[in-house]
Amino acid sequence: MSRIEIKNLSKKFQRTGASDQSAVTAIDSLDLWIEDGEFFTLVGPSGCGKSTLLDILAGLSTPSQGEVLVDGQPISGPSLERSVVFQQYALFPWLTAAANVQVGLESQARHGQGLNKAERRIRAHEYLRLVGLEGVEDKYPHELSGGMRQRVAIARALAHEPKVLLMDEPFAALDAQTREQLQDLLLDIWKRTKTTIVFITHGIEEAVYLGQKVAVMSARPGKIKEIVNIDLQDRQSVDDIRSTQQFGEYRHHIWSLLHSHSRQDVAASVEKTLISSGATA
Amino acid sequence: MSTLALPDQQIRVETSSAQRTAPTGRAGATIRKTLYRSGAIIGFLLVWELIPQFLLEPASKVFLPPLHEVLQQLWKMIVSGDLLTHISASLGRSAIGFLLALVIGVPVGLVVAWFSRIGDFLNPLLEVFRNTAALALLPVFTLTLGIGELSKVTIVLYAAFFPVLLNTILGARSVDPLLIRAGKTLGLNNFEIFSKVVLPASVPIIFTGIRMAGTSAVLVLIAAEMIGAKAGLGYLITNSQASFLIPKMYAAILTVAILGFVVNAALVALERHFSRWARA
Ligand SMILES: Nc1ncnc2c1ncn2[C@@H]1O[C@H](COP(=O)(O)OP(=O)(O)OP(=O)(O)O)[C@@H](O)[C@H]1O
Ligand SMILES: [Mg+2]
Repeated sequence: MSRIEIKNLSKKFQRTGASDQSAVTAIDSLDLWIEDGEFFTLVGPSGCGKSTLLDILAGLSTPSQGEVLVDGQPISGPSLERSVVFQQYALFPWLTAAANVQVGLESQARHGQGLNKAERRIRAHEYLRLVGLEGVEDKYPHELSGGMRQRVAIARALAHEPKVLLMDEPFAALDAQTREQLQDLLLDIWKRTKTTIVFITHGIEEAVYLGQKVAVMSARPGKIKEIVNIDLQDRQSVDDIRSTQQFGEYRHHIWSLLHSHSRQDVAASVEKTLISSGATA
Repeated sequence: MSTLALPDQQIRVETSSAQRTAPTGRAGATIRKTLYRSGAIIGFLLVWELIPQFLLEPASKVFLPPLHEVLQQLWKMIVSGDLLTHISASLGRSAIGFLLALVIGVPVGLVVAWFSRIGDFLNPLLEVFRNTAALALLPVFTLTLGIGELSKVTIVLYAAFFPVLLNTILGARSVDPLLIRAGKTLGLNNFEIFSKVVLPASVPIIFTGIRMAGTSAVLVLIAAEMIGAKAGLGYLITNSQASFLIPKMYAAILTVAILGFVVNAALVALERHFSRWARA
């Protein structure tokens, strides 16, 4: 429900008091345009600046240069309009599932534009039901499985109806079967709510399966190498879309984009063989 | 556990057919476990009773009366209300000092942890204070605050303050930064991050400090009362000794032991209750 424009964005990390040379450039003049209601996935080698970018979008850190506009407005800090789902769930362990889901709703209420207590409880139950978790309202996070925790985290991120959902490898810690379930759940929610989703992943298949667009980033300093438009039919209407030829072509294209960079960089032939053996694995 | 218990239970079934009253299954296991756990204490009490009775000469028996004499004395003091007076004197002082330590220690600890520069500045000094035995300062407190209640409460406050303070700082500093980030994205402002994330996240570690503080509050107070007081369990011990009322002295010592045990058990239960969400 929101348009995101990233203009000439750079982020340098520098230890206080350290010299300029020791600064790490995590993102280097990056431009990106994310449409209203788009499901945007982002892949790239480890350390290329994906999490750094997401932090900036969330308002948790500030750019060194350039700007990020959400619906034309620059980001001035964290906001309930942009929710984040973290890889390690980040649930508050001293709150029950339902209480976790209500944290954002309570903040909203404190700013005088939210639901009353009873309505908040109903909303929390609604969203827990939406992510397929009925009957765990009063359970604490340590009583839930990894998949259930991440479902609670998704419910918590959505309950106050943000315009943008930012997800940093949210399913990376889950087993394959749970991951596929949650991917479908996320697609359902996205279709229903039309929230703009920025989704970071290491999984090429995951990126193709979920994204309308897949942005491929190059290694440090982070830049966008190419944005691939994914033109597949409705994911769930086809049986096992991941095994179709079209899906495979997208997958391979993104795979080559991710690996061509390494080929240029890596001179040693030993490493080349390592990469090509990685292809068959 | 349950599979291990299985063969054991079968054996029990055979024996219990002979003697119906034998406890079986879980209840039996619990009883046996409790018996085993209290075995050392029961053994110690038996030794206390039997050695003075049968092995000591009458002359040394005076200095170590058997358990039943001490218990008789204890009972007398309970009935006369004497004991209660001393217990409440001691408990009152430690409770006031202990609660003051909490009320000051937790907020100060949170502030010190939040403003890390204050923390870096104060930390060496705090370490010095913490490692100064509270009793070493008793003369100072007595000189400046007199020998009355004030110096007693102050020394308890001193002894209880540092475990609370240092554990609060430790707890607040070891909060997972991810939870703070999550809180920010859920619309919490700085104060709310503090009260709704940092404080609850540090509760288990703060409670460890509170438990340590409670134990040392009692210990230090008893010692302080032994040096100068007109009531309290510490006074009762030294006073009985000076008046050569040996069973009374032992009764007071026994009371101190039980009191320390009960205070610790209560604080452990409280700690469990407030940390039940923490992962094992
Ligand atoms: N707080 C920080 N201080 C210094 N350097 C940092 C900091 N955060 C990230 N970096 C550096 O910035 C670069 C990008 O990090 P980032 O976490 O964004 O990578 P990523 O693409 O998310 O990697 P991964 O896929 O492994 O999660 C890395 O080289 C990292 O070392
Ligand atoms: Mg990352």
